[in-house]
Amino acid sequence: MTSKSSFIDKTAMAGSWLSTLLTMAVPAVLLAFLLHRSMPAWSVSLFFGETPPLDAMLHGEPVFDGIWPACVGTVALVALSTLIAIPLGVASGIYLAEYAHGRLGTLFSFCVDMLAGIPSVLIGLFGFSLLLLIRKTVAPDANTGLLLSALCLAILVLPYLVSTTRMSIAGLPSELRLTGASLGLSHNQVVGRILLPSAMPGIFSGVILAIGRAAEDTAVILLTGAVANAGTPGSLTGNYEALPFFIFYLSAEHQSPEELAQAFAAALVLLCLTGVMLGFARLLQARLDQKWKTGHLN
Amino acid sequence: MENRTPELNPTAIRIENLSISFDGRHVVSGLNLKIPQGGPTFLLGRSGSGKTTLLRAINRLNECLPGCETNGSVSLKLDGEWQEAYAPGMHAEDLRRRVGMVFQTPNVLPLSIERNISLPLEVALSMPRAESNARVEQALRDVHLWDEVKDRLTAPSISLSGGQQQRLCLARALALQPQILLLDEPTASLDFKAAQQIEELLDELKARYTLVVVSHSLGQAHRIAEHVFVLRDGNRIDALPRQTFKDKDMLLAAMDELI
Repeated sequence: MTSKSSFIDKTAMAGSWLSTLLTMAVPAVLLAFLLHRSMPAWSVSLFFGETPPLDAMLHGEPVFDGIWPACVGTVALVALSTLIAIPLGVASGIYLAEYAHGRLGTLFSFCVDMLAGIPSVLIGLFGFSLLLLIRKTVAPDANTGLLLSALCLAILVLPYLVSTTRMSIAGLPSELRLTGASLGLSHNQVVGRILLPSAMPGIFSGVILAIGRAAEDTAVILLTGAVANAGTPGSLTGNYEALPFFIFYLSAEHQSPEELAQAFAAALVLLCLTGVMLGFARLLQARLDQKWKTGHLN
Repeated sequence: MENRTPELNPTAIRIENLSISFDGRHVVSGLNLKIPQGGPTFLLGRSGSGKTTLLRAINRLNECLPGCETNGSVSLKLDGEWQEAYAPGMHAEDLRRRVGMVFQTPNVLPLSIERNISLPLEVALSMPRAESNARVEQALRDVHLWDEVKDRLTAPSISLSGGQQQRLCLARALALQPQILLLDEPTASLDFKAAQQIEELLDELKARYTLVVVSHSLGQAHRIAEHVFVLRDGNRIDALPRQTFKDKDMLLAAMDELI
């Protein structure tokens, strides 16, 4: 009996180690592969083509044959869509965890689950149809653009934010609620000043998912405003370039091995850019946490 | 309105015909009780006899639990005036600011030591930082914790020992300057030494606050209680005469008979 259970223990332990190693190996291999295949493309002209980099970055000089406009487009897209989705998603999560009761709550969470199951190409089509509707009714000149894409991406990532917020708040010990109430805090104050900050690490994991998803999605932006050679985004309603679209476009239509290498390089840049955005989000979360726990920032 | 029977201390809390049920299951029914000012007043009784529920009826904390229904009246003497806890115009939050509570297990918030006290002051009383700093220090001094933590006020409160955490919880309740303090088995999770410190504190605090203590410890009641009530099955409450609970053997015999 003991030898059998110790055998199971050891196998389970070995299995867990193996799974962890495998999980760590996948991104490492991916990174190495991207690095290897993109080697020939790395140069300043990958980003800026023939345009002087400073002129492009500071004076808005147009860039041809470079991924700088796509980098700016992707950052703008992620920033805009998370700015729309985070408040909405977190607020809905709070509502579901703390205020929704009975049938309305069940219906609402069913809708969120359904939204999570919708493929991104459908959301892109929804954005496109929405635009057609707007053109037929209020604004005949409306066109695809950054804002429309950001809106659709926000819808795409909303369910992650709602679910993680809801789960992290619902998973907090009920003692926290009683403690807050016993100190004379109203329910809203308990939610806003105790529960929400306590649930922050969980909510943050939803934000990470949202940023990653918004940065990589291609189907939505393909239908709502991403255009090759659109240049650096100039306005909310104008078309733009984005890295996932650039990668998709070049890998499907490359004319030469150099162009394919450029696609690999762009993929690596997208990965790094997402990493940097996650780093910023993590920094912000750490500051918020410190502010809550000690009442001030160092 | 005023109680006519002459007592050593005037009444601070008057409970009349109180019934509390959770999802239709009665926990407390038809209770009448007068708790005098000062104290400590001890509520004894077996597990499940409704002591905690009765205690939480005083600051309306039962309402935070699902399925609770409360009937009857709980009047409290606050700022020299009788106020009905369950009156429509009474806000539960206001009541809880004036009737502090300490729980069985130290329930520090996952914040720094200082923030555990200043956050409720800031949120519940909208107190500016400069003022709350002074209150934090005073509250920590009141529970003799100041010298132990003054150099690490920004350290996480969970880094404190169990006894220190419980004193922090007591300080947090005191900082709101309540008039009544409810303590739900405040020493149940503490070792002998830490429990003794809390008992000594209660002895100091009884001059300034009305203290109501739910306890399992007969020894504790024997040592520091001024008044003792024994609750049975949520529907019967008996006062123990002073000479009974001040004598260990008589207390044991009385408890045997009552519960």
